[in-house]
Parts: sequence; C-alpha cells; structure tokens
Amino acid sequence: MDATDSPLDWVLTMAPYRRDAEHLEALLAQNGLPVRRAEGVEELTALLEQGPGVLVATHEALNPEVLEVIRRYLIDQPEWSEMPLVILLDRAVPQARVRAELSAAWPRSRQLYYQRPVTTLELLSGIQSILLARLRQRDIRDRIEREIELRRELNHRVKNILASISSIFQMTRRRAVSLDEFAEDFAGRLAALANVHSAVFQADGEAVEFSSVVELTFSPYRVRGTDRLVFTGPTVLLRPDAATTLALCLHELATNALKYGALSTPEGRVSLQWSVSQEADLLSLEWVESGGPSVSEPSRSGYGTRYIRSALSSQFGTPPVILFHPQGLRCIVSGPLSRVSPRQPEV
Amino acid sequence: MAPSVSPLRIFYLEDNPLIVFHIEAMIEDLGYVFAGSASSFADLVGRIETIEVDGVLVDIDLADGRTGPAAAKWLRQRGIPSIFVTGQEAIAAEYPETALATIGKPVSESELAEKLELFRLTSSTSKTI
Repeated sequence: MDATDSPLDWVLTMAPYRRDAEHLEALLAQNGLPVRRAEGVEELTALLEQGPGVLVATHEALNPEVLEVIRRYLIDQPEWSEMPLVILLDRAVPQARVRAELSAAWPRSRQLYYQRPVTTLELLSGIQSILLARLRQRDIRDRIEREIELRRELNHRVKNILASISSIFQMTRRRAVSLDEFAEDFAGRLAALANVHSAVFQADGEAVEFSSVVELTFSPYRVRGTDRLVFTGPTVLLRPDAATTLALCLHELATNALKYGALSTPEGRVSLQWSVSQEADLLSLEWVESGGPSVSEPSRSGYGTRYIRSALSSQFGTPPVILFHPQGLRCIVSGPLSRVSPRQPEV
Repeated sequence: MAPSVSPLRIFYLEDNPLIVFHIEAMIEDLGYVFAGSASSFADLVGRIETIEVDGVLVDIDLADGRTGPAAAKWLRQRGIPSIFVTGQEAIAAEYPETALATIGKPVSESELAEKLELFRLTSSTSKTI
C-alpha cells in the first residue's frame, strides 16, 4: 500500500509491557478502531512509514531512540500533516517536566496526555476526536494535490496560448505590406482567439457546440444583414482545441470574403454547411461563396489560405480542398468525427 | 561540394496547429520539404507508414500526453533521426541519446536552420518506415 493512500484511521500503539499493550489493543479493537502494535524501533519506523492516524504510547515506551525516530518522522511530515500523539503517563512521574520535554522534542505535533489509570470512555473519545481532526488533514492534503495539478495544467495552457499568439504574430508579420494592415489583421486574429476562448470557458472547458463557435465567429460580419451569412448543420460537440482551430479557420474565411469575396459586395452570399455521416462517423464541412466578384486563383497564397490548409490538415488528418471557383470561393474538408469530438464513454 | 540532391523531408510531431503552421512556413523557407504533421504518438504511428521522411521534429507534450520521448525512441529504432522542439528543455535533457538535439520554444529561424542541418549529416538515403 502506498503511504499517501492510507486512510489515516488506524492506531499505532507502543507499550513495552505486554499486558499494557494487549489491554490497549483489545480496548481499541472492541470499539472498531484498527490497531497495529510496534514492539521495537525498526517496527516503529516501518509502521510510521505507512501513515498512522494517531500514535498511542505509554511513557515507558519513550526511550531516547524511540523519541528520535518519532522526532524525525514529525519533521519530515508533509505540510498538511500534523500527526497526533497520545501519551499515557503514570501518576508518579513529574508530569509538567515530561510534557515540556516532549513538546520540545517533537515539533509540529498535537499531543494529548492521560494519567493512568485512564477510563475507557475518556481514552476512546479522545482518540476518536483526534482521528476526526486527522481526517480533515487528509482532505486538506487532497485539496493541495488538486491545486498543484491545476497550477501545472494552467501553466501548460498559458504557455500554449503564448506560443499560439507568438505564431500568429510572426506569421502575420511575414505577409504584412504596411503597419496598418499588420495591426488590423493581428487584432482580428487575436479577437477570434479570445472569442473562442470565452466560448470554451463558458462551456466549462470540456466541450463546445460547433454552432455556437460559428455564431460567435460570424457575429462581427453579420452587422450588415444577417441573411448574407447562413449556416446549417446537426449538433456537433467539439473539444476545446478543435473549436479553436475551426474558429480561426472560419475567421480567415470570413475576413477573406469581406475583403475580396462574396461579402465585399451587397449581393454576395456565404453558406456554411456541415453534416455527419452516421455509418462512418465522418464530419464534412463546406464553405460556399456566391454572388460576389469573379474569383481567380491568387498568384501566391496568403496567411489565410496557408493557415486553413495547414490547420485543417492537422485537425482532420487530410488536407482541405480550396477551390477558387469563378462564382465564388469554396472550401471543403472532411475527416473522422473522433478527431474533433471529446472522447465519449462507451454506450 | 557535392551536387545538390533533392531537399530533405521533415515531419513535425506537435499538437498545436498554430505552431505547426508557423514552423511549416519556416521549414519551407529554409528549402526543406514539409512532409506533414501529427498531433500524438498514436497519430504518428498511424500516419507515417506511407510517408517518406528524413527527420522528425518532436514536441515533448502531445495530444496523448508526455509521449514525445517515446515517439523519438520509436523513430530511432526505425533509423529515423529526430530533434526535440519544446519549451521544456529540462525534460528533453533527460533523454540525451534519444534525439540529435533540442530546439527551445519559441523557435527562432536561425536556430531552426542550424539544427535542421543535423538531419543532413545523418541522412545518407531517404527512408520509408
């Protein structure tokens, strides 16, 4: 058993006199508390490794060697842990001095003293309340572990976003003719990235519906009439990374349509359709422009075309078809739904 | 100088499409052929069988977890050299014999140019996996 998995609800006892040890063990066991007894220093060290809920020891058990083993264990405790110690003292010992000595020897521990003979009721209620406090420590441990995990995940995501922005910056700069053009293109791409981030965040970061990504990405282009940009398709859930890629591709297509394509004239139309074939679980997307100025293949491909080719190839495993049809640009891609959808549990 | 042969073919194992996009452009600008990309080790195994490559750029953290080092080892066993491209240089350093070199992120064109030359030195003939 891994020490971090131990439930902390068992009692470690140490009493050098057999009668004391057996009495203690029987008493705790009768009341449903699992007990393990350490008879020597080696056994004590091994059992401490397994993370007991509480250590109950008689005063006689605490020879210098035992004190040192416990001291080292207490010092090495993780931050969430404060192991409780229950010490049974004889009436004859100088109690104040013993307490002072043990407090000094054992840092970061909760110590509870009883004078022998101790009543069953007193001892049991003491141990039980101390174990409850110990369980709360375990909850704190779990919370700390979750927080460390979250921080690591956050760091990974922030780095990833910074790397994305850096790539957008470098690639936008390569193609820019003027500073104004650069600023406009870069701001547009960052806004598209920010919008899809919000959509993914609102969807709890798990899955986001394709139509909401489309709606969000198209909203800046729909001010001049909502029916010029239409989209239809079944409900498709996207993973955050796939949602980001598709949103950025749609942003490039829409910007291009506004500058050179169907959205550059009042009569132009854009239609985006997607479908899922049930047998093959294949997602197909089709962007079709019509009614705009006559289109011809550009002499060299710009950021948008290159990005769409690269990103959709990565996302779907097959490159998209981009057609510079005279009546309007078309972009068609299809690939397995599993490459964009969150993993679903077996039905 | 030896007569110029056909340009080396570079494959990229990386799960962020924007980074692929950027590096792809740099690779092509440097006169290499971009042979494609995969986002996970599993994806690489599935995709690369029919592709001819001379070298693979490998990110450490991929869509299926921290599988970059295992992917580089897998490639090495097939005689294909790789170079790590990562923001986590310390982790790449734990696998010194696995890849030819490590390129830090964000990637600069000059470092990419210099490190891609290493593929030229190790490549005698193009390999199919």
